[in-house]
Amino acid sequence: MEKQVNSLLQIENLAKDFGKLRAVDNLSLGLDEGEIRGLIGPNGSGKTTLINLISGVYKPTSGGVYFLGRRIDRLAPERITQEGIMRTFQVARLFGDMTVLENMLIPAFTQGMSRRQSSQRAKELLDFSLLSRMSNEPARNLSGGQGMLLQIVRGFMRHPLRLYLLDEPFAGVHPVIKDVMIETIQKMNREEGVTFLIVSHELTTIRRLCSRISVLHAGQLISEGTMKEVANDPRVIDSYLGG
Amino acid sequence: MENLSETKISKLKRGFLLLAGSLFVCLLPLWTGQYYMQVFTIAFYYVVLASSWNLIAGYTGQFSLAHHAFAAIGGYTSALLVTRSGFPIWMGMFAALLSSTLMGFILGVLCLRMRAIYLAIATWAFAESVRIFISMTYKLTRGDLGLAVPKVFLGTGRAVACYYLFLGLATVTVLLLIIINRSKMGYYLRAIRDDEMVARVMGIHTTRWKIFSFIISSGIAGIAGAFYGHYNGLLTPVMVDFSEMALIVIMVVIGGIRTAAGPIIGAIFIEILTETFRGFGEIRMVVFALAVIAIARLYNEGAVGTVRQFSRWIARRKQPRGDVT
Repeated sequence: MEKQVNSLLQIENLAKDFGKLRAVDNLSLGLDEGEIRGLIGPNGSGKTTLINLISGVYKPTSGGVYFLGRRIDRLAPERITQEGIMRTFQVARLFGDMTVLENMLIPAFTQGMSRRQSSQRAKELLDFSLLSRMSNEPARNLSGGQGMLLQIVRGFMRHPLRLYLLDEPFAGVHPVIKDVMIETIQKMNREEGVTFLIVSHELTTIRRLCSRISVLHAGQLISEGTMKEVANDPRVIDSYLGG
Repeated sequence: MENLSETKISKLKRGFLLLAGSLFVCLLPLWTGQYYMQVFTIAFYYVVLASSWNLIAGYTGQFSLAHHAFAAIGGYTSALLVTRSGFPIWMGMFAALLSSTLMGFILGVLCLRMRAIYLAIATWAFAESVRIFISMTYKLTRGDLGLAVPKVFLGTGRAVACYYLFLGLATVTVLLLIIINRSKMGYYLRAIRDDEMVARVMGIHTTRWKIFSFIISSGIAGIAGAFYGHYNGLLTPVMVDFSEMALIVIMVVIGGIRTAAGPIIGAIFIEILTETFRGFGEIRMVVFALAVIAIARLYNEGAVGTVRQFSRWIARRKQPRGDVT
C-alpha cells in the first residue's frame, strides 16, 4: 500500500497489545530523512516495543508503519531489512561462534555484495571503529562494550542504509568506546545520510547527538522537540518523576 | 610477521596431515585384506551420513532425527525401481536422490519452523513412520525379511572397487560440504544457528535457507542409502532403527560437531570400534553413549576440538615467557 507522505518514516495510530497489556497505544510519529532522533521515556514506556514493531519483529495490533510511503508493518524482518532499515538490540546479539569479520560480512552478503567489496567495506568500518585488531577473533570473545560497538558497526555494512534503529546502544559502555560509537554515528549520518532513531536513557549523550527528541510514556507519545523543550515539558517531568 | 609464519606452519602441518591421510586411505587396499576393506567401505558410508547430518545439526542448528530415514528412502527407491521396474542402477540412484530430496523438502516445510526439541520429536516420528511403513508393506518391500538388491561390481575385485566407490562418494560429499560452508550459504547457516532472529534482521531468509540445507542433506543421505543398498545386496527396516540415527549422532559428537574433519574421524573411529567389539553385542551402544555423555560434558568440541586445544596449549608453552602478556 503506497501513501503520500513527506517523512522517511511515518508511524500512524500504532498500537500493540500483549494480552491485556497495551505496550504501544495509538502512537503517531514521523521521522525526516537525515535526522538523528532520540527516543526516551521511563522503563516500560514502549520504546523497545516500538523498535520491534518498526523492524518487523512484532506485528502491530492496529495502525501502520510507512517507510518512504510504503506500508512495511506486515513485512517479515528480512524484507524490512531489504528496504534499508537495520536495528540493534539492547543486549549485543552477535553471531558468537563467527569471527568479528564474518559478523560484518553477513549483512553485505544478503544484499548481494561481492566478497571483495564486502571485505573492503568491513575493513574500512572496523578500522574506523578501532575493532580491526579483533577481526579474526570469535565475536564471543569481545567485551560487552566492544560487542555493542560491533553490533552497531555491523549494521553499517548494509549500503545504502536509510534508517538505523539503535536500542540502548550506550548502556554500560566504557566512555572511550562510547565516544567511538558517537563519532561513528555522526560520520555515517554526515557522509552517508543515514537517519537514526536512538533509544537511550543516557540523556547527556542524547543531547549531544540528537536535534530532536520524542518522549514516550505508557506507550503514548507525550512530547516532542529539542532537548530543552522536552526537558521543560511538565508531562515529561511528571512521567519521569512518577507524578 | 611471526604470526604469518605461524599460520603458514599451521597450514603446512594441516596440508601434510591431509596428504598423509589421503595417501593412507588410497593405498590401504594394497596391504589390507578384504575384511578391513569392507569395514572401511561401511565407514565411508557413515562418513557421508555423518557429514551431511553435520550440515543441518552442526552448521544450521537443526537437530533432525530423520537422517537415517532419508538413507532408507533413497535405498528402497533405487532398489525397488531396479528390481521391480528394471531400471538401470544409475537411474535408480538418480531416483533415490530425487525421492529423498523431495521428502526432505516436504519434511522441511512442515517441521523447520519448529524449534529444538519439537523438531527432534517431529523428525523422529517421521523416521519411525518410515520404518513402520517399510515393515508393513511386505508385498512391496518384503518387510522384515529384507529386500534383495542387485549389487554393483560383481566378481573378484568387488571389494576393492566398492572401497574406491565409497571413498569417492565420501570425498565428493566432504568437498561439497566444505564448499558450502565457505560460501555465502555457509555464513547464513552458521548465522541462523547462532541467533535466528538476528539472522533475519540481517536480511537472511532463514526458513528458505534452513529448508535448502535440509534438502541438500536429505539428498546426500538418500544417495548414500542407494549406494549402500547396491553394495550390501539387502535392505531391511533395521536401516531405519533409531540405533542407526544414534550412531550418526555419536560419530559426529565424538569426532567434533561443526567441523569438517569431525564426522570423518568420528565415523571411521566408531565403525572400526563397532567391528572390533562386535562380539560384545549391543553393549557397544551403551559404551558409545557413555562416551558421548563424557565428551558433551568435558570436551564438547569432540576429538577435533580437543586436538586444536592441545595444539594451542603446546604453542603457548613453546612461547618464551616474556612474550606472554
